[in-house]
Amino acid sequence: MSTQNRATGLSRRRFLATSALAAGSLAMPRIVRAQEPEKPGELIVRAWGGAWGDALKEGVTDPFTEMTGIPVRLDFTEDNEIKPKIWAAVDQGRVPPIHVNWDTTTNATISALRGVTVDLGDLKGLDKLLPIAKPVGLDGWPLVNTYSYVYVCAYRPEAFPDGAPKSWRVMLEERLKGRVALYNDGIGFNPIAVLAGGGTVKDIPDNMEPGYEFYRALKKNDPLLGEDPDFTTWFQNGEIDIACTISVNARAAKQNGIDVEWTVPEEGCKVDTDGLWIPKGLPENEEYWAKQLVQYAIGRDAQEKWCAALGLPPVYPGLEPPADLVGDPAYPTTPEDFKKLVRIPSPVLVENQPVWFARFKEIMQG
Amino acid sequence: MADTTTGRKPVSWRMLDAVDRLVAAAWPRGAHGMNGYLFILPAVALVFILIVGLGYMADYSLHELDLATYRLKDEYSLANYAAFFERPVYLRILGRSLLAAVIVTAVSIVLAFPYAYLMVRTQSAAIRKFLLIALFLPFFIGQVVRAYGWLIILGKEGFINSMATALGLPPLDLIYNYPAVIFGLVQYMLPFAVLLLTPALAAIGEEVELASESLGANWVRTFRHVLIPMATPGLVGASVVVFTLTLTDFAMPQILGGGTSDFIANAIYDSYFRISNLGLGSALSIILVVIGSALVALIFMIAGTGTLGISGRNK
Repeated sequence: MSTQNRATGLSRRRFLATSALAAGSLAMPRIVRAQEPEKPGELIVRAWGGAWGDALKEGVTDPFTEMTGIPVRLDFTEDNEIKPKIWAAVDQGRVPPIHVNWDTTTNATISALRGVTVDLGDLKGLDKLLPIAKPVGLDGWPLVNTYSYVYVCAYRPEAFPDGAPKSWRVMLEERLKGRVALYNDGIGFNPIAVLAGGGTVKDIPDNMEPGYEFYRALKKNDPLLGEDPDFTTWFQNGEIDIACTISVNARAAKQNGIDVEWTVPEEGCKVDTDGLWIPKGLPENEEYWAKQLVQYAIGRDAQEKWCAALGLPPVYPGLEPPADLVGDPAYPTTPEDFKKLVRIPSPVLVENQPVWFARFKEIMQG
Repeated sequence: MADTTTGRKPVSWRMLDAVDRLVAAAWPRGAHGMNGYLFILPAVALVFILIVGLGYMADYSLHELDLATYRLKDEYSLANYAAFFERPVYLRILGRSLLAAVIVTAVSIVLAFPYAYLMVRTQSAAIRKFLLIALFLPFFIGQVVRAYGWLIILGKEGFINSMATALGLPPLDLIYNYPAVIFGLVQYMLPFAVLLLTPALAAIGEEVELASESLGANWVRTFRHVLIPMATPGLVGASVVVFTLTLTDFAMPQILGGGTSDFIANAIYDSYFRISNLGLGSALSIILVVIGSALVALIFMIAGTGTLGISGRNK
């Protein structure tokens, strides 16, 4: 029997093939859409406030929202305070309160050790990033570092008419009694205290005594201990003349008209990194889009805008520093720049920070 | 009013009757003897939840932190409690907190007594209203906002120092130290002390003081031998509340202390959040609860619970 229709000349085989093609064309958008998980109503990113949150919004979350249509909400819960909430949620099998945590690498490493972070090894372009992007001492990519930053010596020029302080030991001068500020857990200064106290990098972490000696001497000068917003307020109100603070805060204060400069003294400054990580326990589609956000954040466009707004060296190579930070020692780009800075590997920080913190508190609370 | 033509009750009456029938079905007359227990059930549930939470905390306090995984070790140990006794900083901080609690309580009571007395005894309605408004206004402003307010007033370029430098005096160190924390706490606790003293003073009839004076006692003797003993319930209540609130305060030392005048609550916060040591934080919390409870129990042992009018004897 012939398979060809006498009236149309269309064979059955051709008819079936054409029908299949038509049906496939109609189904294609649905199949493609099915490969992309459903978009969540919003993504929540934990962030620091002030200049930090503004930079993230400008460089990462607003462009991401424009690109994907997913609104991003910033959660300004303190990094230390969100940690136990996430840990408890993951342990109890609940959905964690945020999708992406913008965190210090040390804190993120602690969460990774606890096993609450999603591996980001499947993100594209990780191999293009600078080596500093990869977390040290951990398997895979439980977090990705996004930029480095320096704990600079910020100072009021009026209090130093002869120019920037050359050494951290200037903090011990009696004229600065009650006018020196550090972070209230010693972060950013513990290793530097060792150097300022006459020790060397080799002393860290097994012989921190020179650092503790420096703290005991500094305690006699009644230092103020606080957090990022405190430093800004103190500089603004003329309460302090010198502080160890992150360069972002000093730069933001200066851009807001506060008379503050910064330097890297002869002993050096601590350099560290911040990163992004995603907690376990998110619904599959939300985890997917959270990863897309992190993917965007480590891309060239986001790195350029975000890190320029922060004034920090990105992990994406080949990007120019902002005009006001060219040649700034707090914006290291060359190996020579990094030689003046002290970087402590995350595993060492994670293991020793509780001990350093306890000794710092013991001395400062005396 | 009931409709006399049809005998139908108004809707509101019928609704209340329905509610009555529902309550009677849910809570039959035979169970009415348990009404008292029903009323205290929410409070008991709240205390029960608190005790369960303390139980969990006590359990956590007996496990050390494993720095390799940042989880508590499975083995039970007293290492966290040993850390409290072995590290001088914790004893120092606890001592500072207890001293502050004693000072703030004493100063608050001394300042609150005349305030409460005036509020109770004044004949002027305007003065009474003013004192009441001044008393309640701080409650509308949280502790944190008040602390920041003191930073503005007492700061190196604050109001007080601006006046001092205008008078040719050197600037004073008024904040970021222990006295500043004490000052802030007294200002915060004063309304609590006044509120607890006022009912006790109001219960002392004015005629009692008049009777004392008519028997030849001057005001000082009346104050010492009549007012103070009769105001004891208020003094004990105010002392207990102010003492425990001060001992456990977090915000004032955090904001006014400059990071070098931490109280025990700040140390607990640091343990939980800064070094993620749930075990140590729990141990410090349990120690604080035990010490605070022991001191309150001691006060009641000395003063007697009857001083708060809860002896159980019918008057």
